[in-house]
Amino acid sequence: MTTLDQIITQAADEARADGTTTIEAHHLLLAIARTGSPTLTAAGLDHPTLRTALDQEFKNSLNTAGVRLDGALPPATPPPSGSPQLGATARSALERGLATAHRKRDTTPAHLLLGILQAPLGTVPRALDHAGIDRTALTDAARRETTDDH
Amino acid sequence: MEIPATGEVADRLAAVGALRHLADRLEDAAVEEAMRTGWSWPQVAEALGITRQAVYKKHAKRLIAAGVALRRRTG
Repeated sequence: MTTLDQIITQAADEARADGTTTIEAHHLLLAIARTGSPTLTAAGLDHPTLRTALDQEFKNSLNTAGVRLDGALPPATPPPSGSPQLGATARSALERGLATAHRKRDTTPAHLLLGILQAPLGTVPRALDHAGIDRTALTDAARRETTDDH
Repeated sequence: MEIPATGEVADRLAAVGALRHLADRLEDAAVEEAMRTGWSWPQVAEALGITRQAVYKKHAKRLIAAGVALRRRTG
């Protein structure tokens, strides 16, 4: 089974691909999708679908400020691996996820997913809303997955 | 009061984060391009309007790891 440490390592790669060493909640979400999540799979949310939704959210938010992004961002060498940091949104997701587990060591990727989906504001809920995802139903499914584990 | 994730104020706050991310990405690409084409750290720093220390601290590790030949002095 995938462990939380594996998710965080994978999320660090997602962050680096984004040009940063700071892991945010959406990097954790992408990592969970990459490593396989029954809840996300059932909702049709695979890694490319989520990446597209997050890219669209980024473009939409830039549009609000009158900035239009044509095509991809200019490529740059990603930051070297090592010493990734957990950003504020990733910390919140982890805290929320831990709070839903009975004991800290019982925390699974499903608990982390639940913690990510419980965020009421920010990049992840915005991306899911723009993509027409029923967040309440998805959160309920994630909660069911956490109870299935026991 | 429940605040929706999207909507006027939420969109403007999200735009701030998106612009910061965009600026960071543009900076990474532009600094790398400058250093690959022979600019020095002081020149890049002056063009960005920040200190040489700041630009070095932010980009040196990444560019050295990428094998970019870095110039030490202006010339």
